[in-house]
Amino acid sequence: MSDILVAEGVGKKFGGFVALKEVSVRFARDKLAAIIGPNGAGKSTFFNVISGAFPASSGRVSFEGHDITGLPPHEYARRGIAKSFQITNVFPQLSAHENVRVAAQMQKTRYNLWTPRAAIRELIEEADQLLERVGIAGKRHAVARDLAHGEQRCLEIAMALACKPRLLLLDEPTAGMSPEETVKMMDLIVWLAAERTVILVEHKMKLVMGICQQLVVLHHGELLAQGTPDDIRANDEVRRVYLGQGKH
Amino acid sequence: MSEVNTRQAAGAWRNAINAIVRHRVAATIGFLIIFPWLVPYHTLAINILIWGLFALGFNLLYGYAGLLSFGHAALLGVGSYGCGIVIVHWGWPWYVAILCGTAFASAVACVIGFLAIRTRGIYFSMVTLALAECVYYIFYKWESVTGGENGLRGINVSTINLAGFEINFLDPVNKYYVMLGVVAIALWLFSRILASPFGAVLETIRENDSRAAACGYNVANTKLMAFVLSGAFCGVAGALRALHLSTVPVEVMQISTSGDVVMMALLGGFGTFFGPFIGAAVFQLFGDALTLWTTHWQLYLGATFIVFVLFFPRGIWGSILHWLRVAKP
Amino acid sequence: MTEVSALMLNITLDLLLLQIVTGIALGAVYVLVALGLSLIFGMLAVVNFAHGAFFMVGAYMGVWLFTQTGNFWVCLVLVPLGVGAIGLLTERILVRPLYGRGIDYPLLLTFGLSYIFVEVVRMMFGLNGIPFSTPQGLTGAVDLGFGHFPRYRLFLIGATAAIVTALYMFIEKTSYGLIIRAGARDPEIVRVLGIDISKIWLVVFGIGTGIAGLSGILAAPLQSVTPEMGISLLADAFVVTVVGGMGSLKGAVVAGVLVGVVVSLTSLVSPEAGRVSIFILMAVVLLVRPQGLFGRTGALG
Repeated sequence: MSDILVAEGVGKKFGGFVALKEVSVRFARDKLAAIIGPNGAGKSTFFNVISGAFPASSGRVSFEGHDITGLPPHEYARRGIAKSFQITNVFPQLSAHENVRVAAQMQKTRYNLWTPRAAIRELIEEADQLLERVGIAGKRHAVARDLAHGEQRCLEIAMALACKPRLLLLDEPTAGMSPEETVKMMDLIVWLAAERTVILVEHKMKLVMGICQQLVVLHHGELLAQGTPDDIRANDEVRRVYLGQGKH
Repeated sequence: MSEVNTRQAAGAWRNAINAIVRHRVAATIGFLIIFPWLVPYHTLAINILIWGLFALGFNLLYGYAGLLSFGHAALLGVGSYGCGIVIVHWGWPWYVAILCGTAFASAVACVIGFLAIRTRGIYFSMVTLALAECVYYIFYKWESVTGGENGLRGINVSTINLAGFEINFLDPVNKYYVMLGVVAIALWLFSRILASPFGAVLETIRENDSRAAACGYNVANTKLMAFVLSGAFCGVAGALRALHLSTVPVEVMQISTSGDVVMMALLGGFGTFFGPFIGAAVFQLFGDALTLWTTHWQLYLGATFIVFVLFFPRGIWGSILHWLRVAKP
Repeated sequence: MTEVSALMLNITLDLLLLQIVTGIALGAVYVLVALGLSLIFGMLAVVNFAHGAFFMVGAYMGVWLFTQTGNFWVCLVLVPLGVGAIGLLTERILVRPLYGRGIDYPLLLTFGLSYIFVEVVRMMFGLNGIPFSTPQGLTGAVDLGFGHFPRYRLFLIGATAAIVTALYMFIEKTSYGLIIRAGARDPEIVRVLGIDISKIWLVVFGIGTGIAGLSGILAAPLQSVTPEMGISLLADAFVVTVVGGMGSLKGAVVAGVLVGVVVSLTSLVSPEAGRVSIFILMAVVLLVRPQGLFGRTGALG
């Protein structure tokens, strides 16, 4: 089992609208993969189905050989799948440090009603290290709501990492970021992918071409192509529907 | 830098409030020790103590976990009945009765919570209100055990034996300090829970429950636990109330009680440790003063409710903390 | 045991049918109250905790207008207008500043408002209940073939059907209703189209509370009019809304009738069981279908 996540015939309907048709993809372990496609291609739908945000209408998703289709969201996290959302999703009134600390806490204790949080040093230190790693250690005490957009995205990644995931799912991690922030984020992602599987959804194909090992191209809710960046570059259909639009 | 400026500007006040927040249990107990000498008569202090504990229990659910229950009257009432029934029907000692009231309220909270947590947001408030009405109706009709319409009478505890000392429980000052002992234990436990890892999970659920689930927390279980814990604290308050009044009026389970506790928590400040006691004190003192010159105190109560929702949603204590920019511990 | 079995034998088909019609009449009041509640929620995402109080104000306004005019039909027209006007003022002055500040605040505010309504009515009409006699022309009973049934209750069923139909036509067939439906789905789209959404919210709040007032006067001849009559009704209305599905008008109608019939039928066994049964019904719905019979999944938030 070298494939960490396998989607088989995954489809999603919203009422009568078919957002996703029979998509089957195998994601290899410890690789950096990207799901790309033009607007409305079904990228986010596919992402939400494989991350358990909403149930698939058909097909199944398995993680490390186990069927995870339809499991409650917290089960995904407990099995080692962490995600960062497209819309920034943090605990707005808690400090940056507490955001990460509480995410890390899950790995250690859930229903401890007794020990003071301040006494569990290792979680506090772990949160500090993660904030350092994503580059917002200086904002340790800042309330998450008051952070800049890029900082909130970094905070989210620190929270996702605190879950110690074997698979990290990122939905458009650079959306709304300045060019400098985008470069920093891409560096961070490459670093993250060195130690675990990362699957990200990206609108801008150019960003991921150089760093990904696997690309999945969706179009009109269907799988158009998948393979290495070189395969995709050479694929005529992809050129036609995607690259053709994006010429400079 | 600005933090230093603010500290200088707000001066001693800020330091004092900061100290209170940091040592919240000690400060609250200290305040409650001198409290009976600050109010017109001692019985009022007992009322405020009990309602403060009730509001504290409610606040665990709404202020910290963000679940707005409109059914807490049932939990207070069941705590009272649980305590009263074992004394009236079986003659059990008062401290066992308090534990029974607490256990009974927790059990009922478990049932109400189990049904209510299946819904979210506004739905939750509606379901808790309806289920509490159901509990009220059952107790109202279950006359052989609860005394029905007349309430449960004859919870007579005149003297209590505490470590070899016979204490006259009919004396309001004695009664107050015995009850304060119970409340102090509850406050200490409450503070431990808030400071614990579980306390942190409660806050994540208030802030963003889908994110909490994505972190791996089982949101439904956590909410249910919060509901049961809240029920336990309200049960203690209910049990103390039964001992205080020597009777359980069935009206305590009506919707207005649920509204009263929301009002007290709102007055004091949702999600603050000390707020519920301030809210209970203001509510009771205000109500007490109003009844002296008007029978229409509900009118002023409703108006105060509206004014606070519109202009002071942080409540009295919450606003003080906000103005002085006291960081949460 | 013998008592129970004797009771069972006495339940004939005729009695059962009669009890069902009684349940529908009871359900008619639930339908109207839940309809207003759901209409306001579906549009504004506000639960009006003062809805029971608006119902009560409607009953009292009916009592007062009846002593002034002596004509029940005039009251039926004026009461919803009067209560709706109070609703308009409530939305404009008190509820509107709270939009965007979280769903709990309008709820808390309307709860406080209900205290004021109850107390003002107590000040004006006293603490005791006022009987409201069945209007002339609607007294007596009608033979339904399986038993005699009070004429007024039959009228109540008819009136409710008429109101439901009128509301349905208004929302489904008029251009104004189209805007309301669009606004309930996505306020942003309506705003983009250049329609002042706040005006629609105002009108919907007025209609919802107006219907609550109307149901108050319609229910008045069935019970004693008291300042507290809206309180237990609020709990019942919540049960109906939870069973039917929040924000669903179809749900309000079906669940209202269902709850009425369930209460009526279980009351055959014992009156106590009647009231408890609706809460059991709600518990079952919560366990099996938490979003309610006609609620959409995901509309719980």
